This record gives sequence, C-alpha cells and structure tokens, in this order.
Amino acid sequence: MTAVASAEATLMSCEGIEVVHGGGASSVHALAGVDLELGVAQTLALQGHSGSGKTTLLHVLGGLLEPTSAVVRWRDGPLSTLDRAARTALRAQAIAYVFQGTNLLDHFSAYENVVFAALACRQREDRAQLALELLGLVGLAGKRDALPSELSGGEAQRVAIARALAQRPDLVLCDEPTGHLDSDTGARVLDLLDTLQLELGFTLVIATHDARVAARCARVLELSDGRIVADRQT
Amino acid sequence: MRIALTLALAGLWRARVATLVRVLVLGVATAMLGSMILFVGHSLNTMTGSAVRSVPLDWQGPVNSYAADVNVARSVARQPGVLQASPAATAPLAGASHNGPEGLTETGAGAVLAVPADYLSHLGSLRLLRGNLSRAGVVLDQQMAATLRAQIGDYVSLAPRRGVPPVRLRVSGVALVSAADVLFAPLDPQVGSAPAQPPANIAVMELADFAAGYAPALRAITQVSVGSNAVPGAQEGVQWQVHAQLRPNALSGSPAHALTLAEHARNRVERSLPGQVRFVDNLSESLTTATRDALYAIALYIMLAAPGALIALGLVYLAALGTVDRDRRELALLRTRGARRRDLLALALADSAALGLLGGLLGAGLSALVTATAVSGGAHLTLARAGLVVGVCLVLGFLGAASARLGAGVRMLMSGISDARRAVRRERAPLWRRLGLDFVALAISGLIYWLTARTGFSAVVNPDSNPTLSLAVYMFFAPALLWIGVTLLLVRVRGRLFGWLARRAAGRRERGWGTLLLASTSRRAEAINRGLIVLGLLLAFGVSLGVFVATYDQQASVDARLSLGGDVAVTAPPGAVTAHALASRVARVPGIRAATAIDHSYAYVGPDLQDTYGIDTRTVAQATSLRDSYFLGGGVTQTLARLRVRPDAILVSKETISDYSLALGDLLRLRVLDYRTGRFTVVPFHVAGVVQEFPSAPRDSFMVANLAYLQAADHGGGPNTIFAATSADPASVARRVTAATRADGASVKDIGQQSAQTASSITAVDLGGIRDIEELFAIALAGAATALFVGLALSERRREFAIMTAVGAPLRRVASFLWSEVAIVLILSVVLAAGLGLLLSLMLIAMLQHVFDPPPDQLAIPWGYLAGLVGAAAGAALLAIVAAAAGLRRLHLGSILREP
Repeated sequence: MTAVASAEATLMSCEGIEVVHGGGASSVHALAGVDLELGVAQTLALQGHSGSGKTTLLHVLGGLLEPTSAVVRWRDGPLSTLDRAARTALRAQAIAYVFQGTNLLDHFSAYENVVFAALACRQREDRAQLALELLGLVGLAGKRDALPSELSGGEAQRVAIARALAQRPDLVLCDEPTGHLDSDTGARVLDLLDTLQLELGFTLVIATHDARVAARCARVLELSDGRIVADRQT
Repeated sequence: MRIALTLALAGLWRARVATLVRVLVLGVATAMLGSMILFVGHSLNTMTGSAVRSVPLDWQGPVNSYAADVNVARSVARQPGVLQASPAATAPLAGASHNGPEGLTETGAGAVLAVPADYLSHLGSLRLLRGNLSRAGVVLDQQMAATLRAQIGDYVSLAPRRGVPPVRLRVSGVALVSAADVLFAPLDPQVGSAPAQPPANIAVMELADFAAGYAPALRAITQVSVGSNAVPGAQEGVQWQVHAQLRPNALSGSPAHALTLAEHARNRVERSLPGQVRFVDNLSESLTTATRDALYAIALYIMLAAPGALIALGLVYLAALGTVDRDRRELALLRTRGARRRDLLALALADSAALGLLGGLLGAGLSALVTATAVSGGAHLTLARAGLVVGVCLVLGFLGAASARLGAGVRMLMSGISDARRAVRRERAPLWRRLGLDFVALAISGLIYWLTARTGFSAVVNPDSNPTLSLAVYMFFAPALLWIGVTLLLVRVRGRLFGWLARRAAGRRERGWGTLLLASTSRRAEAINRGLIVLGLLLAFGVSLGVFVATYDQQASVDARLSLGGDVAVTAPPGAVTAHALASRVARVPGIRAATAIDHSYAYVGPDLQDTYGIDTRTVAQATSLRDSYFLGGGVTQTLARLRVRPDAILVSKETISDYSLALGDLLRLRVLDYRTGRFTVVPFHVAGVVQEFPSAPRDSFMVANLAYLQAADHGGGPNTIFAATSADPASVARRVTAATRADGASVKDIGQQSAQTASSITAVDLGGIRDIEELFAIALAGAATALFVGLALSERRREFAIMTAVGAPLRRVASFLWSEVAIVLILSVVLAAGLGLLLSLMLIAMLQHVFDPPPDQLAIPWGYLAGLVGAAAGAALLAIVAAAAGLRRLHLGSILREP
C-alpha cells in the first residue's frame, strides 16, 4: 500500500523502503517495501505493535538508518544516497527528533541541551535567548540549570521537545513520546506538541503503539511486520 | 562453579574486544612484576658471581708444620666442592741482594711466599708475567725484580733473618702478586679475614725448596702463637698454611644462599679434619658484604618497581570499568531471575580466573621476553625461576582481575536489584576518607623526608665510614607514603578543583562550543580525575624512575672517577715515574689535558694503617676532579695552599681528628714504611686540614701529604701513580698512554674500565637493567593508559555521542568532547608527574645520600627518555582519538538510541 500525502506540497517521499537485519535464512525484514509521502505541516502517526517497524521507519526518515534499498527524497533532493555527514547536516537544518525515553545529553543542563541543538544547526540568532524562550514555551524556565537526572520523565520529555524546536525544523520525528509517562503527563506533552505544531507549522510524525495518541494526528499509518497495512485520515 | 565458569566464558566471548583489551592490560601489568622477579634473580646471581670472583683466595688454613701442611692440603683437596687445595707458606724476608752488571743492588725487608709448582693452575692470587716457578728457582714480584734489577737467570740472595746466611737462588720468573694483602695477612680463624699491608718486596719459592732451605732458619708460627702475629707487618716466623679454592659453580643463587653454601662447605671440611685445620674464610667475608649489598639492592628495586606494578594494576581496573555498564545490566538481569549474591560472586570470580589465566600466562611470556631483551646476558631462566614467575603472574593476574572486577562492580554485587539497575546513587564516604588517611600519609611522608634531608638520616647507614651497608628500611616509608597519600588525595578530590574551575570558566551564559566543552568537562571531572590518577601516577612513576636512575648513573660516573683518581690512571713500578719522567711524558700524550704524579703508600696512625697520598699541590687540581666538598674547613684552593706553605703539612680524615683529639697545627707522628729498610719509621707531620674524599682514596680514613716530604721519609723511589684528565675519549686516550708507557712496565686504566667494576657500593648495584625494563614498561603503559582512557570515555559517552550526532552535530564537534578530555588529562598528568616525580626522586636521593660518594650536586634529568614518555602518551592519545573518531563515524545510531 502506498501512503500519499494529502497536503499540497511534498516534504519527503520514500519508495520501496526495505530494511533487512542479518543475512541468509536468519535475516529479518524490519521494513518490507514501504512507500510513503509526507506533506508540509502534516501530522502523521505511525501506529503498530512492538516490532512492527515504526521506529525503524522513523530512523530511515531521519537519516539515522540507511535502508537496505529505497529511494528516499527530501523535498526535491535525494536523502538515502547522501553520505553520513550530509545526512547529519540535513538533520541539523531540518529534521528534529524526540526519542523514545528521554535521550537528553546526560552531562548538560536543560538549558545546555537546548543550546546544543541550536549550535548544531548553526542558528544565527541569539542562542541563549532562543533556549530560554523555548524552555519558557515548554514551561520549564525555572529548570534551566537542572541536569537530566534531576528532571522528571515529563519534564525531560518537554526539554527534548524544546531541544527539537531549537533546530527550527521542518520535520519533527517523535518516537513513543509518551511511552515512559503517566497518562496525564503524556496528555500534556501531546497537547504541547499539537500547539507547537500548529503555531510553527512543522511536519510532525509520531511513532506510537497507543491508538489514542495516534488519533490526535490528522493521518494514521498502521504498520505490521514491516508493512503499511492501513492508511487513514482521522 | 561449572555453570559460573560457562557463563563467565560466554560473557567474555560475547565482549571479545573488551576481553582482549583486559587480557592485554593484565598481561602487561603482570609482566612488569614478572620481569622484576627475573631481573632481581639475575641481579642477585650476578652479585654472587662478582663476590666470588673478587676473592683471590677462598680459604687460608694455618697449620703447624710442613708435614701437616701437605697432609691437610691433600685431605682438603679430596673434599666435595673443593676445586683445589694446596700447601703453602709465608715467611719474612730480612733483605735481598743481586750482584749484576750494574753492581750490587739491595732491597729492604719483604716477604716470601712458598707454593708448589702447580699452585698457579687454579689459585689466582699471583700471576706469572715471565718464566715459571721451578725447583731451585725463585719468582720475584715485578716490583722487587725492578728494584734488584734482576732478570730471569740471574742469581739473587734472600736473607730469612739478620745474622743468618742468605739463600742463593736463580731467578726463574717474574710475577704480579695481586693479592699480597690477603696472602700475607696474619691468620687467626677466630678473628677472621683481615687483609694487611702488603710487603714491599715479595719473592715466591717452590714449597719443597722452601721447606728444605729457607724455613729451617725461622721458627714456625703455631696456632698457639698466632695472636702474636696478628699485627700486620710483624710476622717473624714461617706461617704454614693450606690454601683452598671452592668450585665457583657450587656457589649459586643469591649472595645469602651462596654464603650458606660456602659456610656449610667450610664446616664440612673442618669437621672431616677435626683438630687439624680451621680456615680464615675470605669467601664468606666477601659473600657477607654482598649479602648486605643484595638487601640494599632488593629494597631499591622494590622501591623503584613496586609503584609501577601497582599503577599497572590500576590500568586493569580502568579496563574493567569499560565493561561495567554491561556487567551491571547483566547481573541485574540474573538477580531478577533468582541468582543469589554468592552466585554473582562466583560468576565474577570465574570471570577473573579465566582472565587471570590468560593474562598471567601472557605476562609470564612477556616478562621472559623483556628480560631476555633488556638485560645483558639474558634472563637466565631456570626451571625453578620460570615456575616462580609463571606462578606469580598467574596469582597476580587472578588477583588483579578479581580486584578490578569486584572494585568496578562492588555496588552491583552488594546492592539490591533495583539499586543494581540504577547507574548512580549516593554513597557514604569510605572509612579512609572519614579518617583522613591521605593527609596522615602525606604528613608522615613529609616528616620522614624532613628528617632525612635536615638531620642526615639515611636508609644506608655507614657508621664507621667503611664500605659496608646496612638498611634502615623504615626510611622507604617516605616515598611509599607519598605515593599512597597522593593517590588517596586525588581520589578524595575527585576532580572537584578543575570541575569548579571549568564551571567558573564556562559561566552561565552560552558563548559557543567552548562553553559547552567546559560545561561537559566540569561534569565529567570525576571521570577525568580517574584518568589523571592512572596516567598521572604512571607518568610520575616514569619521571621518578628516570630521574633517579639518571642521577644514580651520573653519580656512578663521578664515583668511578673518584675511585680511579682521574679520567686515566697510570700505575708504574717504584722509581719508574721519576726515572723515566713518566708524568711529563703522559702529559704530552695527545688528548691529555693535565697530569699529576702521586705517591700512594701507607702509614700507621697509632695502630691504624692508613693509605697515604703524596701529592704535587701545583698540578693535582688540574689533573683530577677535586671538589670543595672533599675538604672541611676550606675549599680546594685554600686547603692546597695550606699544604703548600708547610712541607710537613698533612691532611687527615675527620675520624682521625676525632679519634686522636687533633686540631689544626697539631703535631702528628706517623709510622711510615721506609722502603729502604722495609721497616716502619716514625716521621713527624703537622695537621693542616681535614679531608673527606680524595681521588682513588678509600672511603675510610686516609691522609694526604706533600709528595717531596713523603718521598724523603719513605725512600720509596718517588711517585708510583699518575692521574690524568683528558680532553678526548678516555678509552682512546688510555690506549695512547699505554703505548707510550708500556716499555716502563706501567699499567693504564681508564674511567670506563673502572665504571665496569664493582669498586664501591654505588656501582655494586647495576640499575641499567632495571632502568631498561621499567622504562620500557613505563612508556608502554603510558601509551596504554592514554588509549584506555580514550576507549573508556568513548564507551561511557557512546550514547551521548550518538544523540549529539542524531541532533545534527558534525563529527568534529562530537569528537571535540572526547579529545578535550584527553588533552586535559594529558596536561594535568604531565604537571602532576613533573611535581610528584621530581619530589619522589629527591626523596630517594635524600634517603640514599650516603651511597652517593660524593653526594650529587644536582639531579640529572634524562630529557630524551622523558620526552619519549610524554610522547608515548600523546602519540597513543592521538592514535586512540583517530580510532575513536573512526568509531564515532560508524556508530549504529539506530541501535544505540533504542537501548533502554
């Protein structure tokens, strides 16, 4: 099944994504022929059970994982054929992640985590001001000097969102953003993401096993055994 | 246990690279100690060999008659372990004369040695230069031959005592009697070995001829009357004696072991001949001194090497930390599945046993290889020594692996399941920190050092100014406690200081990547400190070792020059220096900067026989290396001036001043050997100064007087030694001097030859081998420590680096977080090593100040080696960072970011 973007402009397109782990008889197809188009400012949920391939697909979209075979295009240019450094540069400029768990930089404060991302994407504006604004935006202005180990799960996830936004991304990829959070905190994080997406207009892709989370996105792709088995608008 | 071993082996196999690194590090660490065992064993063997070779005559057993002499010698020769036993005798010589083409020449008193013709086959107390020892013939010592102007074939007359007709004998050879002080020593087995003033003239006769034609004119010295002959130079009768030499290969192992063997052999021989003979044991005397030297050498080796071995084990700990995260997760998993604490302990021990076995075997092999390569003459591996090294390496390998594993993972083993899953938790300070043991150790170390430096305490006590050494082992606590104190202090500080500095430098506002680097550094201070502890202490070990050994070598060279007298020393027969103007001829040899003639003789101060040096005050300072510290109450110039203004002036030792309550200007009557009569005559001198050291003088008491005055008193024919300073390579200059003086019977020695001899305590311990081994290990371990630190930092921050890359940070930015830490560790380590290393060197040198003769003016810094040491660390860091950058490029971001 091919998933086609409903928005007017295409941000990213993928054809025939194959990701195979291992070789020979014991090889595992993490993704098997996935086609996908993402539109600008679209919100998309990748829904599926554990092992369905949603995180793998997210990593291919973000250039963290080189697919075994595929044609991945970013706007009008190729992505999958870029070398590692060029993919890293592209991520810095346009693609941000909010990882499963928190995955903040352990030895940096909340403020420094955000500044790091701003530096990585070569933001020209006042990075300190930007970081403070973003932390304020996610409601953590008072926790600027806290280390990740001193933050709760929800707070850490909000710092991760602020860090992602510091890159001024066109695409934000979220992997189980509420996976480690209680339902109230999870809901607040999702509300925040929704608000920011509407305000800033980035494309949002959320990988989740939770149907309620997926339902908050305009479009839901359901994956099973590395294939898209359903594509629906909500 | 089998399950634990299977699980452990499976775990080690899964983490193959980490296992390989741990085995390699463990191998190098154990090899360091293994090499030391091999080196010390080799060194002790060498000391035994030197001690045995330095004894010209192992045993001298006084007997009452010629018949007893022959019978006892025959019985002793049959004893196991005895190489040769020979009857011999010594007797006084009242005078000798030779009527040659130049007229009648006479000598003063001397001594006769009587031995069988086959004596020279194994006993090396004299060496034939020309001719041989035959019946009805006499062999003259080269000095006596020169004095009598006698050639082989000439007839000489020897008078046993005044008033008795002389014995006329044909000269059949000329010999060099090299051990006259031992051969003619008074023999009292109760007193033991007591070398005496050698006679001025020595004649060697065939024993049977002696018994028939010479001995009847003299009474025999019996074992009852031996006490009356105990004063050197006072022998008045025939001393029948058995000379015996042990088989050198029967004396093996350390000097202490060889001493036991030698004493057992002597006891066995004496027991088998009850009431017939008791020996003066020169061999045991020499081995006893060597045993003391060996104790000192072992203490020195341990002091130099032990810190290195311990720090090397610190590397094993560092290597174990590389897998601590994986181990923590695995053990937590095992505990959730029902494994008990003792099961986990068994697993850790099984893991350590496997690593210890591999690392220990590798270490044993490496130590044999390194010792064989670095030590001249090879490792001399015997089965027992090889077994010991393998055993020690295996035990150390296991203990090292177990302590590193348990030390790195103690929290996992001791804590509950939920705790074990947690990477960080608050812990109570350990007891040593609460008690402040680091400060206590540093304070005690400082106190001992202060006592050492200020009050002259020394690990090597030399109470009677003689060359024997004894140890005050507690002195070694100063450097040992410094090591412990600094290590614990660094552990206590845990990098707080530079963490604080980095935080201050970073500030609160972002100013770019530099700010983030500083922020990261401030929070990684503990990890950086861990690297500093291992690398800094390792480099400090390298610095202290290098500086100490270089200073030791420098002083050995100074000591050799002091022992020899100059860069080149020429010894000539009596009269030859004056007769052939040898001093001026030597001075004209190309490469000689200055030369001075010295008259070396002996004189009695009361009952003490002391070396006496007649010097030419105008030339001695230029040709030798006199230092102000050699004299008390004045420098070189002032003291020589005092000697010059008064012909009968004499410089005496401090001991003589205090023993005889002398003051400057006091009259000092000496009994000087008059070479014209062979007897001691009283000569007045006046004390003009105090001398502590003098070129070629012994370490105990001696005297320095004006050459002309001494010459007039002893009629010895003038100077017998020439000291020369060279402006070119002493060895090649010495060859030219030999060529120029060979015809005059002179023997020439250069400083290189002197350094090779174990002439004094400082050169008795050869630090060359240990330096090569330890420096090799220090350089290798410095490189390994840096590489391990990089590897560990990469392992610990792998996930963080993956996140940085995922966020979009370029590789060079990510790598900067790694290399900046390495640079900080390197810089701080070099600073720590420079300070601590130099302090340790100063401490060791202060402790061993009495070994250095004279004491060192300044430390010798081996810049080349130190550059190599730092270069190895920096080079390894560079390589490791390049490798780490390649690793960063290949990080499996997807997999790492999925890790829980």
